[in-house]
Amino acid sequence: MNNQKLLEVQDLVIEFTTDKGKVRAVDGISFSLNNSETLGIVGESGCGKTVTALSLLKLIPSPPGKIIQGHILYQGKDIVSKSESAMRHFRGKEISMIFQEPMTSLNPVFTIGNQMIDVIRQHTHASKKEAKERAIKMLERIRIPNPERRIDEYPHQMSGGMRQRIMIAMALSCNPKILVADEPTTALDVTVQAQVMAQISELQKKFNTAVILVTHDLGVIAETCTNVLVMYCGKIVERADVSTLFESPRHPYTRGLLTSIPRIREKKLEKLPTIEGTVPDLLHLPVGCRYADRCERVRDHCRLEEPPLEKKDDKTEVACFYPY
Amino acid sequence: MQNLLEVKNLKKYFPVKSGFLRRVRHHLKAVDGVSFVIQKAKTLGLVGESGCGKTSLGRTILRLMEATAGEILFEGINIVHLSRKHMNKKRRDMQIIFQDPYGSLNPRMTICEIIREPLDTHNIGSKEEKSKRILDLLDVVHLRRNVLNRYPHEFSGGQRQRIGIARALALHPKFIVADEPVSALDVSVQSQVLNLISELQKKFGISFLFISHDLAVVQHISHDVAVMYLGKIVEKTSTENLYKNPKHPYTQSLLLAIPVADPKQKPQRIILEGDAPSSWAPPPGCPFHPRCPEAKEICREVIPELKNVGTAENEHWVSCHLY
Amino acid sequence: MNEVIQNSTNKQTHTYGESLWSKALRKLRKDTIGIVAFFVVLIYLGIAVGVCLGFFGSSWDRFVTDGYSGMSRQHIFGTNLNGQDIFERALYGTKTAFQIGFIVAIVATFLGGILGAVAGFFSGKIPDVLITWFYGVIDSIPFYLFVAALAVALADNPYAMHIAMISTFWTSTCRIIRGEVIKIKHLEYIEAARAIGVSYTKIIFKHIIPNTIHILLVQSTILFVTAIKSEVILSFLNLGVKEGVSWGLMLAEAAQEVPAGNFNNFIAASGFMLILVLAFNTFSDALQDALDPKKVS
Repeated sequence: MNNQKLLEVQDLVIEFTTDKGKVRAVDGISFSLNNSETLGIVGESGCGKTVTALSLLKLIPSPPGKIIQGHILYQGKDIVSKSESAMRHFRGKEISMIFQEPMTSLNPVFTIGNQMIDVIRQHTHASKKEAKERAIKMLERIRIPNPERRIDEYPHQMSGGMRQRIMIAMALSCNPKILVADEPTTALDVTVQAQVMAQISELQKKFNTAVILVTHDLGVIAETCTNVLVMYCGKIVERADVSTLFESPRHPYTRGLLTSIPRIREKKLEKLPTIEGTVPDLLHLPVGCRYADRCERVRDHCRLEEPPLEKKDDKTEVACFYPY
Repeated sequence: MQNLLEVKNLKKYFPVKSGFLRRVRHHLKAVDGVSFVIQKAKTLGLVGESGCGKTSLGRTILRLMEATAGEILFEGINIVHLSRKHMNKKRRDMQIIFQDPYGSLNPRMTICEIIREPLDTHNIGSKEEKSKRILDLLDVVHLRRNVLNRYPHEFSGGQRQRIGIARALALHPKFIVADEPVSALDVSVQSQVLNLISELQKKFGISFLFISHDLAVVQHISHDVAVMYLGKIVEKTSTENLYKNPKHPYTQSLLLAIPVADPKQKPQRIILEGDAPSSWAPPPGCPFHPRCPEAKEICREVIPELKNVGTAENEHWVSCHLY
Repeated sequence: MNEVIQNSTNKQTHTYGESLWSKALRKLRKDTIGIVAFFVVLIYLGIAVGVCLGFFGSSWDRFVTDGYSGMSRQHIFGTNLNGQDIFERALYGTKTAFQIGFIVAIVATFLGGILGAVAGFFSGKIPDVLITWFYGVIDSIPFYLFVAALAVALADNPYAMHIAMISTFWTSTCRIIRGEVIKIKHLEYIEAARAIGVSYTKIIFKHIIPNTIHILLVQSTILFVTAIKSEVILSFLNLGVKEGVSWGLMLAEAAQEVPAGNFNNFIAASGFMLILVLAFNTFSDALQDALDPKKVS
C-alpha cells in the first residue's frame, strides 16, 4: 500500500465527436497522485484540463466524449471499465468534485440542508436525523453563521462565496480520498476567493484528502499546490514540483505563461510581455510540436516531430526538444 | 491639462418593486454620489468587486442607462438631459468595449457588417471611403484583412475582442468605456489586448474609463485609479500612490488578496470575513465596516466623507475615519 | 509534410465565412432521418401542387360507381358510399391540408412574431401589458367552443375555420418570441448598437428579429401540423371545410361506412394524414436541432 499511488492515470486519450470531425481533447496524458498531495493542473481554455478532471469521475458527457484509450487506476483498480451504477457509489465517497459555477451546481428548488442530507445518506447508513446533525456540524466547521437556521435556506438566499463553501463542505461530507476542484474560485471575487482557498486547505489538512486543483490562475497554484502539470492542447508539456516550476520553468510555454500574467509590479512596464499568436484549433493541429507556432525557441526539428514528455533532470519533466 | 469628462455626484438608483400592487418600496443604490474627472488621453481605472456598481456607472455615463441624479460633463457640456437626437451625435465621441466577447457581436452579421454599422449609422464617407476605413481599422487592431466575410463564431475570444475594439474605434471616439475587456480572456491573450489598448491610447489620444475587478490588470493600463465599494468611491489617487501606499483598509485587503505567482512568498493576508453586503440593504455608517479589520465605534454610525489626505498636487482621496 | 500543411489550410479556408445558416444546413444534411422526412413532405407538396395545377385529383367529385366498391385497378382504394374514387379524394385532401397549413402557419407566425417582438422589446410598458392581456384572454377560451362560435357568427364564410385557427394559434408563438426578445435585448450586442446610436426600429429589425428567425421557423412548422390536425377534427365535426374535400370530411363519411365494414375511406384518409404529420414532426425536430444556436456554435 505504501508504494501504491492513490491515483494513477496512464496514457489517457479522450476524444470528442464534433460536426466537423473528431477532436482529441486529451491526448495521451499520464500522471499520478499520492495521498494528501495537492496537484495543480494549469492551462488555458481548451487545453483539456477540465476534461481530464471530469474523466477522473467518469463524468465526461458521452456522446460526444469518449475515453478511447488508457487507464485511470484508483488504488490500483481501473475506473474506466466501471459501470455507471458502480460509479454512483464511487463518486462522492472516493473521489468528489466541485465546479466553477456555484450558482448552477446547487439545485435551486431544494434547501441546502435537503441536498446535504441526500449526499450524506447516499453513501452512509445514517438516519435522516443523524444526517442532518452531520450537515449542521459541517456548516459550523466552515464557519457559516447560524447553521441551524441557514440549513433550511435555499441556494439563492446565499452569496456566491457561501454557496461555493457549501459545495466544498458537501463534497467532503463523506470523507473522500480525493477532491477534484475545477476552477473553484474563478467565478468569485478576490476577497472571497481567498476565503474559499483557505477553506479548501484547512479541510484538506483535517481530512487528509488529496486535492487536484484545475485552474488557469498561476497565483492560486503557487499558493496551494505541491506539484504542477502544465497542459497545452491536450498534452502535458511540463511537470514539476511547485517551487521548481516557478523558479526555473523549462518549457517555453510555461515560461511564457509566467511572464505574461498581469501582476502587480514595482514599476509600470512600457509593454507587457505576451505570448504571440493564438492556441491552435484542435481540428487542425500542426504536425510537430503543438506550441511551435508561438514558440520563440522553435527550430525546424520542432515542426517535424512531436517532443515526448521526458525527464530533463530529477525535478522536471518537459515535452520540449530545446528547453530552457 | 484639459478635462475631457467630468462626473459630478452621479447617482443611479433602481426602484425595487414588491407586493401585490408592485409599488416601489425602496431603491437599490447602484451608483451613489460618484464624482471624478478624466483628462484627455488619460485612463482612469475603476476597481471593485461584483455588485459594487462599476458596470452601472459605465453604462450611465454613456446614457445606456438614465442617471437618477448628478451631472456628466463631456467637453464641458452636461449630457444628462440631451435629447435622443443630440445624444446620438455625441455617441460618435463616446464608445464602449464589452466584457463578453461572445455576447457583444451579433452572431448573424459578418465582421464587415459589424464594423461598418457605426459608419452607416452616422453616414460617414462614401462607399469606398467606408471600405478603406474598415480595412484600416483591421490593421489598427492587428487582425488580418481576410476576416471581413467571416462570422463571429469563427474567432477566438481574443480575436472577437479585437473586432469589438475595431467597432468602437470606427467613429474616432475621444472617450471609451472599457468594461472588463480582458477578464473573459485567457491569461496569454489578456496581455495582448492590454498592450493593444495602451497602444491605441498613444496613437489616437483616447481617454479610457477602464473598469475591472482585477487590480493587477488595472495597474498596467491606468494613470489614476478609483476603488469602488457598494456604489461609492472609497479611494481615488494616482496609480503610483495607490499601489505603493494604499490607504483604505478595503484597498489594502484587495491588494493582499491577489494570489502571488511565487511559491516562496507565503501569503501575508488579512482574509476578509463574509461577502460584500448587497446594495439592497447597505449597512449604516461606513459601508465597509462589517468586514473591516479596523472598524471603530464611529464607523458603525457615520458615513465617512471622501477627503484629500495627499497634497494639492499629489491628490489622494480616501473615505475612511482612520484618516 | 508540405502536403499535410496545405491540406489543413485548405480545410480551413473551406469553413471560412460560414454563416449560422449554412452551418445549420450542413448539420441538417447529416441528419438522415430528418432528410428522409423532408423528402416525404416534399412528395406531399408535389401532390398538393399537382392538384392545384389539375394534374390529378380533379375527378374527386365525380360519381364513378354506384355506391361502395372495393379496391381495383381503376380505383386503387376503391370508392366510397357515394361511388366517388377514394384515392382521388385523398389526393385532393392533400391540397386542402397544405392550403390550410400554409395560410394558418404563415399568418399566425407572422402575427405572433411581430406582436411578440414588440411586447418583448417594450416589456413592462403599455404595449407589452396590452399584448399579454390580449393573448391571455384568447388563451382562456376553449378552442372548439371558439371555432363553433366563429362558424356561427361568420355564417357560411369558407374561411371561418382559418380565422379561428389564426386568431388562437399566434399566442404560443407570441409568448415564446416575447421571452426570447427579452433575453436578447439585454445582450451586449444590442447595447453596442445603442451605444453607436442605431435607431430602435433598426435594432428591432436588424439585430433582434434575425436572431429569433430560427425559432419562428420551427414554430411555423409546428403550427402547420397543428393546423392540419385541427382541420381534420373540425371537418369531422362539420365545422371545417365547406368547399372541396378534406381528410376530415372523408373521415366523417367513413363514420357511416365503417359500421358496414368498409374501411377503405378511413384507412386512406388517416394514412395520408398520419404519414404527413409524422414526417413533418420529424423534420421539425431535425430543423430545431440544426438551428439551435447553442448547438451550432
